Amino acid sequence: MSLSAIASKVREGAPLSHADGLALYQHPNLMEVGALANDVRERLHGDRTYFNRNLHINPTNVCVAACKLCSFSRRGADADGAFVLDVDQAVDKLRARLAAGDRVTEVHIVGGLHDGLPFDYFTRLLSSLKATAPGISLKAFSAVEIFFFHRLYGMSIEDILRRLQAAGLDSLPGGGAEILSSRVRKAICPNKCGADEWLAVHQIAHRLGIKSNCTMLFGTVETLEERVDHLLLLRAQQAESAGFMAFIPLPFHPENNALGDRPAPTAAEILRTVAVSRLLLHNVPHIKAYWVSLGLATAQTALWFGADDFDGTVSEEKIYHQAGSLSPQALASGEIARLVCAAGRVPVERDTLYRNVAQASGGAI
Amino acid sequence: MRRLRLSTISFLNTRPITYGIERGLLGQAGKDRFELSFDLPSRCAAAVASGEADLGLMPMASYAASATDLRIVPGIAIASRGPVRTVMLMGEMPREEMTSVVLDEASRTSQLLVQILLRERGLAPTFARAEHDRVVDCIGGQRGGLVIGDLCFAAARRFPFVYDLGAEWTERVGLPFVYAGWVGRPDVLASGDVALLQESLRLGLANLPEIARVWAGQSGEAAALGESYLRENIHYQLGARELCGAAAFLERAHGAGLLPRKPVLRLFENEVRPRAARVSAARSLDSLLAEAADGERLAFEDGQRLYESASLYDLGRAADARRRSLHPRGVVTYIIDRNVNYTNACTTACQFCNFYRPPGDARIHTLTREELGQKLQETVDLGGIQVLLQGGVNPALGLDYFEELFRWMKANFPIAIHGLSPEEVRFLAEREGLTIASVLERLIAAGLDSVPGGGAEILDDEIRRCISPNKCSVATWLEVMRQAHRLGLRTTATMVFGFGEKSDHLIGHLDKLRALQDETAGFTAFICWSFQAEGTKLPLRDDTTATRYLRTLALARLYLDNFPNVQVSWVTMGPAVGQTGLRFGGNDFGSAMIEENVVAQAGAVFKLSAADIEGYVRAAGFTPRRRNMRYEWL
Repeated sequence: MSLSAIASKVREGAPLSHADGLALYQHPNLMEVGALANDVRERLHGDRTYFNRNLHINPTNVCVAACKLCSFSRRGADADGAFVLDVDQAVDKLRARLAAGDRVTEVHIVGGLHDGLPFDYFTRLLSSLKATAPGISLKAFSAVEIFFFHRLYGMSIEDILRRLQAAGLDSLPGGGAEILSSRVRKAICPNKCGADEWLAVHQIAHRLGIKSNCTMLFGTVETLEERVDHLLLLRAQQAESAGFMAFIPLPFHPENNALGDRPAPTAAEILRTVAVSRLLLHNVPHIKAYWVSLGLATAQTALWFGADDFDGTVSEEKIYHQAGSLSPQALASGEIARLVCAAGRVPVERDTLYRNVAQASGGAI
Repeated sequence: MRRLRLSTISFLNTRPITYGIERGLLGQAGKDRFELSFDLPSRCAAAVASGEADLGLMPMASYAASATDLRIVPGIAIASRGPVRTVMLMGEMPREEMTSVVLDEASRTSQLLVQILLRERGLAPTFARAEHDRVVDCIGGQRGGLVIGDLCFAAARRFPFVYDLGAEWTERVGLPFVYAGWVGRPDVLASGDVALLQESLRLGLANLPEIARVWAGQSGEAAALGESYLRENIHYQLGARELCGAAAFLERAHGAGLLPRKPVLRLFENEVRPRAARVSAARSLDSLLAEAADGERLAFEDGQRLYESASLYDLGRAADARRRSLHPRGVVTYIIDRNVNYTNACTTACQFCNFYRPPGDARIHTLTREELGQKLQETVDLGGIQVLLQGGVNPALGLDYFEELFRWMKANFPIAIHGLSPEEVRFLAEREGLTIASVLERLIAAGLDSVPGGGAEILDDEIRRCISPNKCSVATWLEVMRQAHRLGLRTTATMVFGFGEKSDHLIGHLDKLRALQDETAGFTAFICWSFQAEGTKLPLRDDTTATRYLRTLALARLYLDNFPNVQVSWVTMGPAVGQTGLRFGGNDFGSAMIEENVVAQAGAVFKLSAADIEGYVRAAGFTPRRRNMRYEWL
């Protein structure tokens, strides 16, 4: 399939095929693929580039999954460096940000699969955060964690989600998808839920009115075919349940984990994946250049390769930094706006559901 | 005025060069000025040497072997960038089985070329010489022949094994091959001659079908063959890449013991009219970008318009297309060298620098021979071929210090010296009361190989007064480079942005570099990066983010139409931005640096090995090749 044939499909808004996806990955000229993705990005969002003010809370790094790709987890509660935040500590993190005058609109919560915590810990965590800041949006627990809760606490996925929703859960983050392929999952995260289960959690969440994101961890053992399969699985899920807000491509970071002997995907490969995902996921509204993982420079550049979202102010990111990410652990919202403006785009502060909070000013630089 | 006697060659490929003169199309000035005679290439050289001719269309090897001091006319050459079709090794057997090769006496350059290429393949046939018209008849059995000129077209149909030496040279070296140029003694040209000679060629290039038709009538070959040969195989420009290709060839010949002297390529210093840009306000951004991507010259205002108004993506795409047409083989080069700062003492006290110590400071250190020797040995051990040697402008160090230092370096290490930026050269001239040219001549005699393009920052005196008031002026920076180029040195050019300069300062900088390059063709590469503010006296008050860098890089690739290479600067911008830069106009990954001090002191912390660099280059879809300062593949 030639690029011009793909281009005309893109112009008509027709879904691209698996072969198209591979052709985009293999096309020798990155700039041509990027141009197509940029056209789609500009058609959907113009120059607008979204970001939010958010706070990351990792309740625990204790995890039974022992994924090879991970640098964050500790095997048991007694392991060196293992921690569990108590609910008050978590609430204090939010309080501290609010007290500093930061208008945080979202808390992003993901953690390890800790088998020694009561379910009540998680509902209390959500309700306490919500009580502290009633207007705040809680984006919490990846599908992997939800599925783990379902197994550990012996409740259906739907029951788990309903209870968390009642405690204040607003949306699900997109993590844990890695590559939706049993071959790849066996190799890099054998103890995580399977691909079908990951998709099932999102399907049920969408049915309950819980929006979510989706991700792809690339650069471990997967083939290009498997990346395209993954994107098409997400697209099919979206066609059915329509609850994904954003897709977030996540390049693998090799430090301090068991897969570390392979090189991390480079900027050229990251930009390619951003572009291919924008083109294949025609029914997912936003593509996020998650600066924590991509690095500021590549995230900024990605805004011209299909991405329309820079993620948020974040403080304080742990998972990627344990794996060697060199980006800062937090950015002030003014700094994000400055980077977006410098890239020639218009920064727009959003809430979790992509409603405009304000058109940000990049200021004079 | 006396008539200028031109000795030329009667091959098809020389006809475009002499076309305007032969047809009397240069007006009365041309008719009065030139007198043309036709010869074989080797005789053409003899005529110039003996003074029978003022200018000869001379093979490069004859130029290099001449005992007289000669100069080359700027801008005009007979060169190839791939297959040439008229310099061929032919035979009844594959070249590996040839026991002897008969060389055409007519061109010394082709003789050296075939010898070098066979030797580099590990082949050692014996060589004999024959007259131009007899070579083809000598070929047979295990005896091959070097066939040159128009005879090749027919002969190539006769023999089963035919090797195009132009193609092989460029495949191997990554540079064009220069066969011949206009050469004469330094004082023969008068004002206006270069322009007339260039006009003669321009008219020839505009009339290729007619030239091919006339040739077809005389030779019995098809006119279409002649025309495609002149259009696709022969290139008439003598630009920076051609000068590098010619230097690479002559140095390889010298290294192989085939040329007695180490050759230096020097151009006539007569004024060269810069190539004009088409100025028209009516063009859209898209058509400007498309034209620039095709290599058309951008006017100052159009460069400014693109910089201010074109989207990052559109600039990048156009620059990528331009890079692709200049470097169609998908090769990204890099060099292994070491950045050595021989002293941190410096009197210029630039606001943006975090490396220097003022005279009298207790932390001043000038490297000892032992320290330097250790660094150089490490460099050689790691496969390094060059040292980038820069200060400090240290008033304690005079010209004799550098002469001794360079001689000592050359005597003890197989390493090229890429050293002393213009500010350091200017300072030596001032300190010693010498001209810039004589300082450079003495440094060259001591071993200087090329000059780094540092200290350019922004070539605008207003900006320089703010950020580096004691550093050389724009005019001096350019003059040092001009003199270096005239003495046969290659140099680079840099630009540092992010000091609060406006687009007219940036484009002005590029414009000055482009004009000098039109004159000397001495710059091999352009490198830019953003100001690294940490720890310096200047506050960061400007956009120095990745996208500003990519935009500037792309614009530079488009504006600097006569610069063969654009380096990405991973040392300052980081490997991710460096790699992305390969899609925004860059074709060179710079150096696998063993040491860097200056920007490291200002917060740039990146380090890459040769293997890392090759990994980034491959991941971006390119083939990595090591190079030297001439951008000759190694």
